[in-house]
Amino acid sequence: MALPGNSTRRIIIAEHSVRFEPSGQTVQARTGALISEIARQVGLDLNMPCGGQGRCGRCAVIVQDGGAGIRRRSTLRLTSEDLVAGYALACQTVLEGDVVVTVPVQEKIERRLVTDKTATPIVLPFTYDPLQHQSVRLLPLTLDPPSMVDQTDDWSRLKRAMASAPSSSLGQWDSGNGTWMKQESAADDGTGVVDLMADLSTLRRVGTMLRQHNWAVNAVVEIDIWDRPDGPARLIDLLPPGRTEHLWGAAVDIGTTTVSLYLVDLLTGEVATKAAEYNGQIKRGEDVISRIIYASKNDGLGELQSLVVGTINELLERAARRAKISPSEIYKMVVAGNSTMIHLLLGLPPSSIRLEPFVTTINHPPPALASDLGINIFPQANVDCLPGVASYVGADISAGVIGSQMCDSSALTLFLDVGTNGEMVLGDCDWLISCACSAGPAFEGAGVRDGMRATVGAIEEVWINGETYEPTYRVISNPKLEAQGQPTPSRGICGSGLISLLSEMFITGVIDKAGNLNFDLGSSRIRRGEHGPEYVVAWADQTEQGHDIVITKVDIDNLIRAKGAIYAGFTVLAQSVGIDLSMVERVLIGGSFGQYINIEKAVQIGLLPDLPWEKFHFLGNTALQGALLALLNREYRQQIGEAAQGMTYLELSADNSFYEAFTSALFLPHTELAQFPSVAEVLADRDMQSVR
Amino acid sequence: MPTIEVPKEKWNGKVREITLGATAAEGGTRAKTVTVGGETTLPFLHFEGEIPRPPAIAIEVQDRKPVDWSPVLLEAWGDVTEDVAAWTKAAAEAGADVILLKFSLHDELSPDYARQVLRHVLDATGLPLIVFGPGQADLDNDVLVAVAEEGKGENFVLGVCEDKNYRTIVAAALAHGHLVNARTAMDVNLAKQLNILISDMGLPLERIVMDPTTGALGYGMEYGYSVMERLRLAALQGDGMTQQPMLVTPGEEAWRAKEARAGEGVPQAWGDWAERAINWETLTASTLVESGADIVVLRHPESVKRVRGMIDVLMSKSGVTS
Amino acid sequence: MALSGLEIYKLLPGSSKNPEVKKHANCKECGFPTCLAFAMKLGQKQAVLAQCPYVEEESKAKLEASAAPPIRLITISANGRKLEVGNETVLFRHEKTFYHEPGLFVRVKDTQADAAEVAKAVGEYMVDYVGMNLTMNGVAVEAAGGDFAATVAAVKSACPLPLVLLVEDPAAAEAGLTAAQGTQSLLWAATPDNWEAMAKLAAQYKVPLAVRAAGGDLDALAALAEQVKGAGVEDIVLDPGVRDYDSSLAAFTQLRRLALKHNERNVGYPIIAFAGDDPVLAGQHIAKYAGFVVLDRFSSGTVYPLLVMRANIFTDPQKPIQVKPGIYEINNPKPGDPLMVTTNFSITYFSVANEIESSGIPGWLLVADAEGMSVLTAWAAGKFDAERIAKSVKTTGVAEKLSHQRIVIPGHVAVLMGELEEELPGWEINVGPREAVDLPNFLKMQWG
Repeated sequence: MALPGNSTRRIIIAEHSVRFEPSGQTVQARTGALISEIARQVGLDLNMPCGGQGRCGRCAVIVQDGGAGIRRRSTLRLTSEDLVAGYALACQTVLEGDVVVTVPVQEKIERRLVTDKTATPIVLPFTYDPLQHQSVRLLPLTLDPPSMVDQTDDWSRLKRAMASAPSSSLGQWDSGNGTWMKQESAADDGTGVVDLMADLSTLRRVGTMLRQHNWAVNAVVEIDIWDRPDGPARLIDLLPPGRTEHLWGAAVDIGTTTVSLYLVDLLTGEVATKAAEYNGQIKRGEDVISRIIYASKNDGLGELQSLVVGTINELLERAARRAKISPSEIYKMVVAGNSTMIHLLLGLPPSSIRLEPFVTTINHPPPALASDLGINIFPQANVDCLPGVASYVGADISAGVIGSQMCDSSALTLFLDVGTNGEMVLGDCDWLISCACSAGPAFEGAGVRDGMRATVGAIEEVWINGETYEPTYRVISNPKLEAQGQPTPSRGICGSGLISLLSEMFITGVIDKAGNLNFDLGSSRIRRGEHGPEYVVAWADQTEQGHDIVITKVDIDNLIRAKGAIYAGFTVLAQSVGIDLSMVERVLIGGSFGQYINIEKAVQIGLLPDLPWEKFHFLGNTALQGALLALLNREYRQQIGEAAQGMTYLELSADNSFYEAFTSALFLPHTELAQFPSVAEVLADRDMQSVR
Repeated sequence: MPTIEVPKEKWNGKVREITLGATAAEGGTRAKTVTVGGETTLPFLHFEGEIPRPPAIAIEVQDRKPVDWSPVLLEAWGDVTEDVAAWTKAAAEAGADVILLKFSLHDELSPDYARQVLRHVLDATGLPLIVFGPGQADLDNDVLVAVAEEGKGENFVLGVCEDKNYRTIVAAALAHGHLVNARTAMDVNLAKQLNILISDMGLPLERIVMDPTTGALGYGMEYGYSVMERLRLAALQGDGMTQQPMLVTPGEEAWRAKEARAGEGVPQAWGDWAERAINWETLTASTLVESGADIVVLRHPESVKRVRGMIDVLMSKSGVTS
Repeated sequence: MALSGLEIYKLLPGSSKNPEVKKHANCKECGFPTCLAFAMKLGQKQAVLAQCPYVEEESKAKLEASAAPPIRLITISANGRKLEVGNETVLFRHEKTFYHEPGLFVRVKDTQADAAEVAKAVGEYMVDYVGMNLTMNGVAVEAAGGDFAATVAAVKSACPLPLVLLVEDPAAAEAGLTAAQGTQSLLWAATPDNWEAMAKLAAQYKVPLAVRAAGGDLDALAALAEQVKGAGVEDIVLDPGVRDYDSSLAAFTQLRRLALKHNERNVGYPIIAFAGDDPVLAGQHIAKYAGFVVLDRFSSGTVYPLLVMRANIFTDPQKPIQVKPGIYEINNPKPGDPLMVTTNFSITYFSVANEIESSGIPGWLLVADAEGMSVLTAWAAGKFDAERIAKSVKTTGVAEKLSHQRIVIPGHVAVLMGELEEELPGWEINVGPREAVDLPNFLKMQWG
């Protein structure tokens, strides 16, 4: 475009035609106009949770012909493939010619999330073969009835039926017709039941069961129990013939804040249902130390033991109800948890865990009978607690290391289990070193004023408009309300929502780098509340309980401390072996929140190191995953034991390098901004925006 | 014969140069200004870098005769402590490069009172000033905002600016053309964090003096010493948020110690009171000067003399042999 | 050069490629749970290689080479009083720690009538600093034309501490060494002119020998050290011949760097420094790299601050800094003013004390002995519980200073309230805020 006559200095601004698809609306607009503004003029509602600052990437549109006729001010949220495909952020793109703009279907702000009510398939890292892997077997038995000629006692008769049968009579799952098949021809696989033991309570039922079912029964037998590998098999139960469709087991992770459970069919290896709930012990203290102290008081131990058993039983009830079974049909349970949680479950006094030199009663406890613990699965079923490494690195981590498969590779891997205690493991197939630090329950939504678990009604992601400081958020929706087209009112903020909120407040300047709320912004959402300075995320009328959902300065400090502890933990761990974090090839993240958090926001607040995103892998609850593997596979059970034995434990209280690293991390994103180049870029971008 | 190569470190950072005070030409009324900073190596290692100027010595004077000072100190100054202007003149004569005016806590302390005192001090000396409030957040804000306005353009160092009240003091420094003294509690990270927060408010780093706090000899001095060494190492390694010149107050800290305050009822092994007390201040100050202090605030004239003597030799470059 | 824990681990059985060795991985026979844990302790010099029965020969050689100290440890002694200097591994104390405090000596001349008296005073001097008994380390006897042997003998009988013999004439040196027999003294100094005779004496009398070059000539110093070592003297001390602030700082810094970072073995020895009559210069020598500091004058009012300074600089910075437990008065409190309790971790103490101080509210701050831990850490480790708080209330006698029986505990340990009520019958326990920054507000609300 040529300007006519340079002496007049007259500027003519060209107009172009813009057509929006699929609506087909066409409008004239001037050079330099923002696509987002043009869209608004024609009444198109683009999502711009960040307030049009190019940060959230949610207003992406497609400009025909790969983007001719436009100029992109920022491509921060776009990949090179996106650019080739013509993607542009409406809020960051100005008009320079005639264009056709396709507006994708705008995502609804409410989104249905994975909650404990819906099951996603769990993929096992091996092909499950119960005959090879499982220690609890269902054996269809047919006994010769006694007679005057054969007056053998019932028990010997039962043993004889097992022992005389080929070892393969232990059964093999025939997936073709979905039954247990007796295969006479199968070779001896060394798992033959030659000797058998049983508890008195089981013995009491043997005679009746055999006679009642006409000498044809299904025996539930446990073989190869890890603490006596050469010992006899154990008869757990006798079932009527025909009850052979399922054999149930449970994998449990007892977190300090959250207890999670899988109900698993031991015949197929499939997870039938999942359930999770806050640990009932929370009311007796939010962290392990409080629990340990509580346990040392008059029958505090007994109370905590029954509280966690209560939570487990409630989860069992819930899971069993959904699978339409009774919890008493569960014949095996494997439990992961930190050392304190395992001690409390077993009723072992945990006090020595807290005091120098920080030792447990036992790192690798033997299996216990469910009835001895009060767990309402089959009373004679074994509850197998996985082994821990040290006082503050427990079975959840040994299970997590196996669950995450970190030691299968020579790639230098950092494994983080983010919970109330942050535990971390660094290493590869040759060496592993671990440490633990106390993060507090904030990331699980506890210990925060309006925090909650990631269930229906939880705000799980937040964006803040950088000009108005108004938030937009996504709530985990109630499927019923959603089906009726109604929004789910918010009830609180879950861990991922808190991370997202903290990051947005920081990036938009609602808080400074030390977490102080900025009252100079003049937003009515920034106010002095009953508990000090706070930011209102949701006004009362948008909430279920009818009061404002806020994040207070105290909450912010809690979150900064929590993220600071985690970051300090793994930086000190890396320092202790002389490794620079940039050398880490993979970061595996487990923990109750692991599946849901947004890497970018976690990096922005300085919870995770600023590494290329492809290095991060979210694994969900790795402790539970490890417990599942141990439940299903004897080899994995053994590997967990070996991992616990071979892992080096770094005691952070032994010197003050942790304190140093922690203070450094008590800042957003960190005192050393240079360690967070991507965040520095976002901040620089923000400052440029505010200048413009 | 083997030849030893002088082991030099390569530093790529430099301490920021900060000027205290402003002459008439610069918008103030000071007869001279004092610049600190500019080092490109560890303290006084002339053989590997630039130490362009000596650390400055400030002498603390108070708006009225201190009630809690050691008799050793009060005796050394004599009657001038009764009158802030006279005290200021005496301090200048005792060899101060800079005067630190500290407001003490009493009922008459008000913004107007602070303005008047400031006037007296400005009239009494042509040296640059550091002005400290009484050390209580609310009062500090009142006093320092008034002083900042009254001395507009004088390029004072306003203090003490801490994480809990930095906003008000930084705003006053921004509005009236002053510097701030950013004080944090003997921690490298906290020091950096406060510098970041203050510069995020728009005050250029060239106007921030960093005060990492010190303990007196015997009362945590080594902690401050190492924090200062670490800050200076970071600065020389190129960390922009640690390149502020450092101000410390060994005088105040040392004279708070029992060893300096108490003349009676102390162990005989402590020796002569005045000798011990002055050594207490001098050793605290000299140790901190060697760990990177750019401004030391002292109280006793004899300490000023001794620390000056040490600095003079350290600046003589007699150690450059190759 | 020192190896990192992981580098050491790569040389241990846990990481061995040889299956015969690898089978001993994590065998625990060294007393540590894993090979990596053992490697890290080796790196920190908290374990010795001999604890591992299975380490391969090749690895052993590498590990032993890396473990040699860059600055030789030198010992002098008398009457069971021993001074060890050297073995330092860092330039800055925060990097690890400074291990061996430099010895403080007072110079007496053989022409000085009161030499023995001074020596006696030096020997007897002892002062308490936070529970430590600080003492001088010895006397430096100078041959200045008097009866050197007689003075050495007199000093030796007046003072039980080790000696430094300041003498350059070999004959006088031998007389002095004879007089000093029964002690292990430092002999100063071998110079380019007398080194052969002095080295012979040092070897014969088995004493460390200082070598002195002129005016900061490090080349000459290193050459002299090498010659003396060649003559059979292993224990060497360096005197680069500089005496003022500036040249001492330059020369001593260079020597330390050469030894630690440039592996210059000929200067891998402790330094002797002379501070004259200037305590400030002595202070510089203590912080900046001297192993022996010689003062010209003994005076309690000067050596007390120097001894404290030395204790400060040589405190292990890895250990949390503690403040003395006890009762601290802030803003001149009166009997009716509030009593608060916190731990003796210095950062905790400072943040609490500063908040109260800057609020202007007078108060009593009770600092309980929590072994230098912060409130939460101490509580977690059982070092800050009701029993300990009650004990410090009782032992400090704070109750006698107060007209009330109310105590504010940190909000983080609110759970201690019940137990504390039992431990302190008649006391009212108030739960304060979690963070120090909220204390002023809390005090204003609760104490009006």
